[in-house]
Amino acid sequence: MSDALRFDEVTFTYPEEGRPAMADVDLAIDEGSFALAVGPTGSGKSTLLRATNGLVPQFSGGTFTGRVSVDGRDTLAHAPRRLADVVAFVPQDPGASFVLDRVEDELAYGMENLGVDPAHMRRRVEETLDLLDLAGLRDRGVRTLSGGERQRVAIAAALAAGPRILVLDEPTSQLDPQGAEDVMAALQRLVHDHGMTVLLAEHRLERVAGWVDVAIGFDRGRVRSGTPAEVIGHLGAGPPVTRLGRMLGWDPLPLTVRAARAAAAAAPQPALPRPGPARNGAGHGVVVEVRGLRASYAERTVLRDLDLDVHEGEVLAVMGRNGAGKSTLLRVLAGIHEPSGGHVRILGAKPRPGVDVGLCPQEADELLFNDSVEHEVRATLAARGEAGAADPWLAALGIAGLAGRHPRDLSAGQRLLVATAAVAATDAPLLALDEPTRGLDPASKERLIGFVRAHASRGRAAVVATHDVELAAAVATRVVILAGGEVIADGDPGSVLGDSRVFAPQMTRVFGPGWLTPEQVAEALT
Amino acid sequence: MDRPTLHPMAWIVWASSAGFVAFVTTDPVYLFLLWAVSWFVYAGHRVDAEHARSFRLFLTGAVVAVTLRTGLVFFGTVSAANTTFSFLEGLRLGTILVIFGTFNAVTDPFGLVRMAPRHFHEPALAAALALSIAPRTVAGVGRVRDAQRMRGIRIHGARALPALAVPVLERGMEEAHTLAESMDARGHGAGRRSRYRPQPWTGAAILIAVPAIAAAATFLAASVGGWAVLHPQTSPMVWPEADPLLLAAIGLLAVPGLVGRPER
Repeated sequence: MSDALRFDEVTFTYPEEGRPAMADVDLAIDEGSFALAVGPTGSGKSTLLRATNGLVPQFSGGTFTGRVSVDGRDTLAHAPRRLADVVAFVPQDPGASFVLDRVEDELAYGMENLGVDPAHMRRRVEETLDLLDLAGLRDRGVRTLSGGERQRVAIAAALAAGPRILVLDEPTSQLDPQGAEDVMAALQRLVHDHGMTVLLAEHRLERVAGWVDVAIGFDRGRVRSGTPAEVIGHLGAGPPVTRLGRMLGWDPLPLTVRAARAAAAAAPQPALPRPGPARNGAGHGVVVEVRGLRASYAERTVLRDLDLDVHEGEVLAVMGRNGAGKSTLLRVLAGIHEPSGGHVRILGAKPRPGVDVGLCPQEADELLFNDSVEHEVRATLAARGEAGAADPWLAALGIAGLAGRHPRDLSAGQRLLVATAAVAATDAPLLALDEPTRGLDPASKERLIGFVRAHASRGRAAVVATHDVELAAAVATRVVILAGGEVIADGDPGSVLGDSRVFAPQMTRVFGPGWLTPEQVAEALT
Repeated sequence: MDRPTLHPMAWIVWASSAGFVAFVTTDPVYLFLLWAVSWFVYAGHRVDAEHARSFRLFLTGAVVAVTLRTGLVFFGTVSAANTTFSFLEGLRLGTILVIFGTFNAVTDPFGLVRMAPRHFHEPALAAALALSIAPRTVAGVGRVRDAQRMRGIRIHGARALPALAVPVLERGMEEAHTLAESMDARGHGAGRRSRYRPQPWTGAAILIAVPAIAAAATFLAASVGGWAVLHPQTSPMVWPEADPLLLAAIGLLAVPGLVGRPER
C-alpha cells in the first residue's frame, strides 16, 4: 500500500507569527484510510488540512520548510489547481466556497475545470446528488440554502470532481445528528467501496470516533498518529463514553457506544441505580411567554401556533433537524424578526433586543468589529451606558487570557467565545445562543457549559438552539424538539432525549433513559 | 430556480440589438415602446424571485436617470425646448438601463461566464464576481445590523459606522479570499475545460435572435439612410413621428415574450 499523503519534517509559521503552527511534522496516511485529525482549537489542524493541497503556504504566505506530497506530487512544485484532480478540500465555512449560483452547476464546476467529458459529467452529478441525498435541491440557488444543506452541497461538489483524497474541515459542524450520521456513512462507503482516502478534522468526537480507522492527534503544532483509541486516549479528551471509561478506569478505553456497552457489561460493578430526579432548575417567575406564535420568511411559514413558557433558572435547549425553525424562533424571541401572528413577551413586555434579550447568532463573526477582545466586550457595555470592566465577562468564559488579542487572529472557536461574551455583557434576563458549540474544543465547551449554568443560577433564563445532543444533555434543564415549525416534544432532558433515537446522548444509549452525562453515571457507580 | 432553457447567446443578441435601437433614437414613441417590450419579455422569462428584485432595481434606476437628466436643465437656462431635449436624452439612457435589467433578469451571470471563450474566461469571471458583490454586501449589511442590535448596539450616525462597516468589509474580504482559494483548489484555470449541460441552439433561441438582428438592422438602415426621423426636433417642438416600418421593427423585439417561455 502506498502513501496517499506524506509530510516530511514540515515546519510552518504564519506571517507575523512567532510560534510555528506546525513543527517537525512527520506523517504518512495510507491510501484508503479514513483519518481523523483531533486536538484542541488553535493546535494546527486546519493548517495541516490546508497544507494537503498547497493552500498553505501558497495562499497563506509564511515560512515553510520540509516537504508535503499528495499521491507522489510535491505541493510546493504544483499550484493547488494542478492538484485538483487528486485532492479536494472542503473548508470550514462551506458557503464561502461556492462559485456558481445553482446547486447542480456547483457540483459540476470542479469537473468542468478538469475537462471531464460532458456525458460522464452528467452521470457523475446525478450519482453525487443521490449519494448525499440532494436531488431535491438540485435547482436551488446556493445562497438560499440552510447551513446544513450548504455543508452537504459543499461535500458533494468536492466529491463530484472525483478526487482520490478528500479533506474536510469540520464537515458535521452545521449538521443535525441524523445528517451527520448520513454524511459519515457516505464517506465510509467511499473509503470502503472505492478506496478513497478521507481526512477530516472534527471536535465532536462522538459523531466521528466510531467511523475512522486512523487518528492524528495535535498538540501545539506537534502531531502523533495511531489508532483512534491510542491517540484519543493519549490526548485526554474524547466522546462521553471515553470520558466515562477514564473515570471508571476501564481498559481499553471505549470510543463507541457499542464498546462502552460491552465494557459496562464486563466490568464488575454494582448495578446501576435508577437515575436521580429529573434535573430541574425552574423557578416560578416566567421570563418568556410565547402564545400562538406564527412566523414566516418570504411567504414560507416557518413557525406555526407555538406556545412556550420559559421560567427563571431554566436552560431550554431547542433541537430539531436542519431547517426546523430553531434560528427563526430565537430571532423572534430576540425581537429581531416580527412574528406574523401571536405574541412574545419577555418579563411581560415586548422583547427589546440587547436589553431584555441578548442573542448570539450562528454567524458570530458578524458582530466582531473592535481591535481587541476587551474592546469588543466594552462596546456592548458602552451601548447600555456602562463603563464597567470587560474582565468578569471574559473570565466567565475562560478567555481572560485573550483580552489584548485581535479577534481576527483567533481561531473560529475562540472568536465564537468572544462573541458570546460580547452578547452576555448585555446582562439581559434572557440569553439566547444559536449553535454555540460550533468549532469549540471540549475544554472550551466545558467553559461555555459552566457559563450558561451560572447565568441560569442567577434566576435568569437561557435558550440554546443546538444540534449538539451532548451539549443539551450536559446543560439543559428542559428540551423542546421542533419539527416543521411545531413543538413535537417538550419536557425534562432525561425523558425527551431518552425517548429519541436521533437525539439520545451517548450515556442514554449505553445505560438507558435518564442517564445524560458521564459525570452523573460515574457518581452513581462509585 | 428553473434551469434556463434558452441559449444565453440568444439573449446577448437580443439585448445588444434592443440596446442598439435605444441608442440610435430619441423618439419617445420608440423609446416608450421599448419599455413596454422589455417588460413583456421580462414577464415571460424572468427566472426567479431574486432576479425579479434586481429588475425592479434597474427600473428604479431608469426612472432616476430620466429625472436627473431632465433636472440638469435647471442649472442653466430653462426653456421648453431644452427641457424636452434633456428629457429625451434621459429617456434614452433609462431605456438602455431597462433593457439591461431585463437581460439580467432572464439570464444567470455565472452561466454566461461558463460559455465565454477560453481566452475571455478570466475577465468574464471577474465581471461576474463583481456583479455578485453588490447583492452580497446588501445581504451582509442586513445581517450585521441585526447582529449588533441583538447585543444592544444600534446602527445610526457616523459613530456607529465601524460596528456596521468593519464586519461587513472584513467578512467580504474573507469571503473573497476563501472564494479565490476554493476556485484554485477546485482546478480553476488549470487549462482543461469542458461544459456541463451545454445549451443547444433551439428553434426558440433562433426565433429570438434572428428578428432581433432584423430590428437592429432596420434602425441602422434608417440611421444611415436617413429615410426616417430618429431624433424629433425640439426647437421648435414638433410631434414625434412614428414610421410604420420602425414600429414593426420594435415589434420584432417583442418576439421573445411569445416564444420559449419557461414552463410553470
